[in-house]
Amino acid sequence: MPIKRKPHLSATFALLPTWFVAVVVFIGTMAWSIRLSFTNSTLFPSSTYVGFTQYVKLFYSAKWLASLQNVLIFGVLYVAGCLLLGFLLAAALDRKIRFESAFRTIFLYPYAMSFVVTGLIWQWMLNPTLGIQASVRSLGWETFVLDWVVNRDMAIYALVLAGVWQGAGLVMVIALAGMRGIEAEQWKAARIDGIPVWRIYVSIILPQLGPALAAAGMLLAMGVIKTYDIVVAMTNGGPGNSTEVPAKFIMDNLFGRQNLGLATAGATVLVLGVITAVAPFRYAIYMRNRAKGAA
Amino acid sequence: MKSMMKLLLTGAVFAGMFAPALADDKPTIEIMSSWTSGGEAAALDIIKTEFEKRGGVWKDSSIAGFGAADAAFQNRIVAGDPPGAKQGVIGLAAADFVGQGLFNPIDDVAAAGKWADALPKSIYDLISYDGKVYLAPTGAHGESWLFYSKEAFARAGIVEEPKTWDEFFAGLDKLKAAGIVPVAWGGQPWQQTKVFNMILLSQVGIDGFLKIYVDKDKSEASIEGIKKTLDIFGKLRGYVDDGAAGRNWNDATAMLITAKAGVQFMGDWAKGEFTVAGKEAGKDYGCMIVPESPGMVYIADSLWFPKTGDAGADKAQKLLAEVVMDPAIQVEFSLKKGSVPMRADVDKSKLDVCAQKGLELMTADNVVPDQAILLTPQQVGLLDDFVDEYWSGGSNDMASAAENFFAIFE
Amino acid sequence: MARLHPNGPRPTQITAGRIGLYAFLFIAALFFLLPLYTMVVTSLKTMSEIRLGQIFSLPQTLDFSAWATAWSGACMGTTCVGIRTGFWNSVAITVPSVALSVFVGAVNGYALSLWRPRWANVLFGLLMAGGLIPYQIFLYPMVRAMANVSLYNSLAGIILVHVIFGLPLVTLLFRNYFVSVPEELCKAARVDGAGFWRIFFEIMLPIAVPMVVVVSMLQFTGIWNDFLLGLVFAGRDNLPMTVQLNNIVNTTMGERNYNVNMAATILTAIVPLAIYFLSGRWFVRGIAAGAVKG
Repeated sequence: MPIKRKPHLSATFALLPTWFVAVVVFIGTMAWSIRLSFTNSTLFPSSTYVGFTQYVKLFYSAKWLASLQNVLIFGVLYVAGCLLLGFLLAAALDRKIRFESAFRTIFLYPYAMSFVVTGLIWQWMLNPTLGIQASVRSLGWETFVLDWVVNRDMAIYALVLAGVWQGAGLVMVIALAGMRGIEAEQWKAARIDGIPVWRIYVSIILPQLGPALAAAGMLLAMGVIKTYDIVVAMTNGGPGNSTEVPAKFIMDNLFGRQNLGLATAGATVLVLGVITAVAPFRYAIYMRNRAKGAA
Repeated sequence: MKSMMKLLLTGAVFAGMFAPALADDKPTIEIMSSWTSGGEAAALDIIKTEFEKRGGVWKDSSIAGFGAADAAFQNRIVAGDPPGAKQGVIGLAAADFVGQGLFNPIDDVAAAGKWADALPKSIYDLISYDGKVYLAPTGAHGESWLFYSKEAFARAGIVEEPKTWDEFFAGLDKLKAAGIVPVAWGGQPWQQTKVFNMILLSQVGIDGFLKIYVDKDKSEASIEGIKKTLDIFGKLRGYVDDGAAGRNWNDATAMLITAKAGVQFMGDWAKGEFTVAGKEAGKDYGCMIVPESPGMVYIADSLWFPKTGDAGADKAQKLLAEVVMDPAIQVEFSLKKGSVPMRADVDKSKLDVCAQKGLELMTADNVVPDQAILLTPQQVGLLDDFVDEYWSGGSNDMASAAENFFAIFE
Repeated sequence: MARLHPNGPRPTQITAGRIGLYAFLFIAALFFLLPLYTMVVTSLKTMSEIRLGQIFSLPQTLDFSAWATAWSGACMGTTCVGIRTGFWNSVAITVPSVALSVFVGAVNGYALSLWRPRWANVLFGLLMAGGLIPYQIFLYPMVRAMANVSLYNSLAGIILVHVIFGLPLVTLLFRNYFVSVPEELCKAARVDGAGFWRIFFEIMLPIAVPMVVVVSMLQFTGIWNDFLLGLVFAGRDNLPMTVQLNNIVNTTMGERNYNVNMAATILTAIVPLAIYFLSGRWFVRGIAAGAVKG
């Protein structure tokens, strides 16, 4: 239980700058966006209100709808891919292997690369005329095809591949730390019962890593909604709408297309969507923690 | 409230880490541009050198990519701290800034330099708003060009420039058979839209083109023109290489320079890349207006002059406007950039064969403006979306696509 | 305390399972290393060799000229000075931003979890919501506000922007860390008469060192790698390396100089890479010490 309530002036004072940011910057910006989304603002804010016109336009826009679908596919596969590969790598590294720290560094270093660099390099590697495909073909396998970035149906998976390459190491580190925290007795007991190693990882260790993996997933998910750099560097939203994402849609309309009203409508829909998706989840955690605290 | 915010914000950061730009009595200007490719930068350098020779101080803020440069520029405007000059096209993108009173007119420079006489009337009208001149035109670009590698054509056994689209596609087949990439395609929406427009002009003619984009005319004839355009446009899909998606225009031009590819549809700025690589028009590469086209689509570049509230910068803006419109500079700039000088009264003898052809079409008024001049930035964006969707969607349903085309004007 | 190494001796038998395990690890290592390998070998080739189109082949001779060009000669528009100025700009932006945001994050996490002042949960919720908003939408109003307090286009301005946008993440991490610190520690100190700040500096901050390492590395990477905020807020005298990288990559002289582009890319990424290579162990240790929990 917290230290008994008395007005803690210092604590309150220490949080003032953060309050300021939260209220003025975050809420203020949101309020500003919501207001503008009901106007016909183009290059600069206007105060001519047009009701829900921008929202109607938004949901008639094939690009916007595609961007929502894409960010959903990308988000799910990217987070799941990072979690799965990260967990597998951690489990492998946990098997008392040689050169563990070298492997660990290799798996983690992409996390130091920016999404721009990640996008550029994978764009290059997956470009059929320059990258892996061209190289394999020149070795004699003439029909080899790896054209994900330029293939409308596969481009989104190219983004996932690059994203997983960049983010899996973080999950690996977190999972590995969790595995190292598991009591030796649990291992012994399980081994005595003759449970195969892979079963131990799946049914004994995985559940215990749940909270840590959830936190890692949360860290990754916070990035998903803002996905922008990697798309611009890798595919610029193409071919067609196949890798368009909401953050890019908003950015394009905000500046190049001089369409502030539509951009703010998009942002509003996005944020409200995320909050409705996340709020019940956070509320459940909050209630769980409260229940724990009371017990 | 404002002063409280000021207090809090400055308090949160250690202050005193920045100094204001040094004040100088020379006219100093910061120029923001996204001309970063070889020919573009060389052309900008012509203006810079002359500007400095006349006593100006040039601060270069180059930002690659029109999107990034636009974002940076608009934010500087919002902050009330714009650069002294910005490179931008003549067209509706500038209109809102002028309408909001954010740009400085350069009327006195224009009057002193007799711009009204030197420039074609259509251009002079486009750089003027409410009777005042605001933009300094640097050059016009023809956008209906088809460049081809002479080496690639020779290897494929093509001896004559194709006169019709049928001949053209026959030529592409020959290139393909010779193991050459027929079309060096830049798979970015803005490039694809330019190809769409040059084909459109070849199918509907100058009046038809203006009817569609100016009058938003949705008649049978217009729809039929769009359909025919989409047919030719769609056929091109079969002649591009796998790496086309997302390719930059200058990378596509490089494919012609190295004779890896046969032809490229592009504006005449591609010549700048050939020039930088030491290739000569008419000798190493050829240029022609696309088949069956009665004229040329053009776009015009200019410098914009935002209000900075600084008298020194105002002076520099005027000096820069003078430099840009200097007849000799107009020619020099065009040679590097690949454009056509804006002034009608310049020495044309130095221009290459392609620029001569372009200038001929301009003076005969056989030109139509690019969509950036005719449409709002929103509509330009929607047009890009439309063309890109058709190109990469792989659909050949021209009837329903033609129907969708007109939705961009709504 | 979590162990950094598995306990017990390494198995000596070679079984099919072990071979499979190593095979998996080596294939994974190949996947992770391939892009870096490609960048490095490309940066060491001459353009004539790159034109052959064998991106995975080793360079015939080591040619470091692309590195020199990228560092001090590559062109962006009309100026050809490479990315070295951007390097120092990035340092000047990143170091204070990281220091400040780690400090603010630690104070926030400490205050929110151990003191729980009024409305703490509301504040935390607001921060989390803020963390989910795509930051493009902040640009416009932020630019206005920064201009009003004359911080726009300044080093102080861009630092402040980074601290603000880092707040949700750093607060989340520190709060989760301090939540697991035994309440008694704080109580006992208060009985001894220690105040908010003394407890923070003398007890909590030292305990939180592993977390400080983790958050510093995450923030360092994020801020060093930022492009958009630097482009918009830093001003032309403080443009970070990433903006210059973008300029170089998009500047062509008749032909795309892949070797220079790759060298510039590696140079841009080299500082965060070095930090991960050199102090990756501390990062792992910090996380093992409970840095990231649900």
